[in-house]
Amino acid sequence: MAKDKDRPMGNTVIGSSIVIDGEITGEEPLTILGTVKGKIVVAQNLTVEPGATVEANVEAQSLTVSGRVTGNVTVRERVELRSDAKMVGDVKSPRVVIADGASFKGNVDMDV
Amino acid sequence: MADKEPCLIGSRITIRGQVSGNQDLIVEGRIEGRVSLQNKFTVEESGQVEADLEVAEAALHGQVRGEVVATHSAHLHPTARVVGTIRAPRVVIEEGARFSGQIDMEVELPADVRAK
Repeated sequence: MAKDKDRPMGNTVIGSSIVIDGEITGEEPLTILGTVKGKIVVAQNLTVEPGATVEANVEAQSLTVSGRVTGNVTVRERVELRSDAKMVGDVKSPRVVIADGASFKGNVDMDV
Repeated sequence: MADKEPCLIGSRITIRGQVSGNQDLIVEGRIEGRVSLQNKFTVEESGQVEADLEVAEAALHGQVRGEVVATHSAHLHPTARVVGTIRAPRVVIEEGARFSGQIDMEVELPADVRAK
């Protein structure tokens, strides 16, 4: 059976030419290179890679953005917007890192 | 883009809604809704798919409920459990696979046989 070959870390990867319109839920790390519209709820790290488009409300343990995210984000640990990230939406997270070069429009709530 | 890395839906991930694209997709988790793919769609043994599928090639090792339309082939491997309709020019059901439903291979009969 096609086990563990050609698989980056065995994690869930939404490939660059995949479009999902709906809801993704899960308890393992999720990497998005394609397009997701709707809602994402994961109990682990969510990574939005360069070139990826997410138009969704997001709940995750942590979030790393290098692509484009539109939507409200609720994260339990840490949000990192890397230098090529483009994000529009409200962020609720105890820790938020925005790198030089990232673009962001929205509200940040660190629960101070 | 040149990267046609297979896309993987892990065993603890559920997708509800529409999935479309043109690269291979492997499901170890759960999909409910609809899948439109111009490539190979693989449901692993742990995979559960409750969806209508429109794919080029379906390789089914897990549980599938819905309408399976494959432009190339549908292959039910020994661990497959499938309920629904399969429409494909080539359908393979291996020893051990369980299937309940209709199969349509679009058989082309000669005109004199088809005519009543």
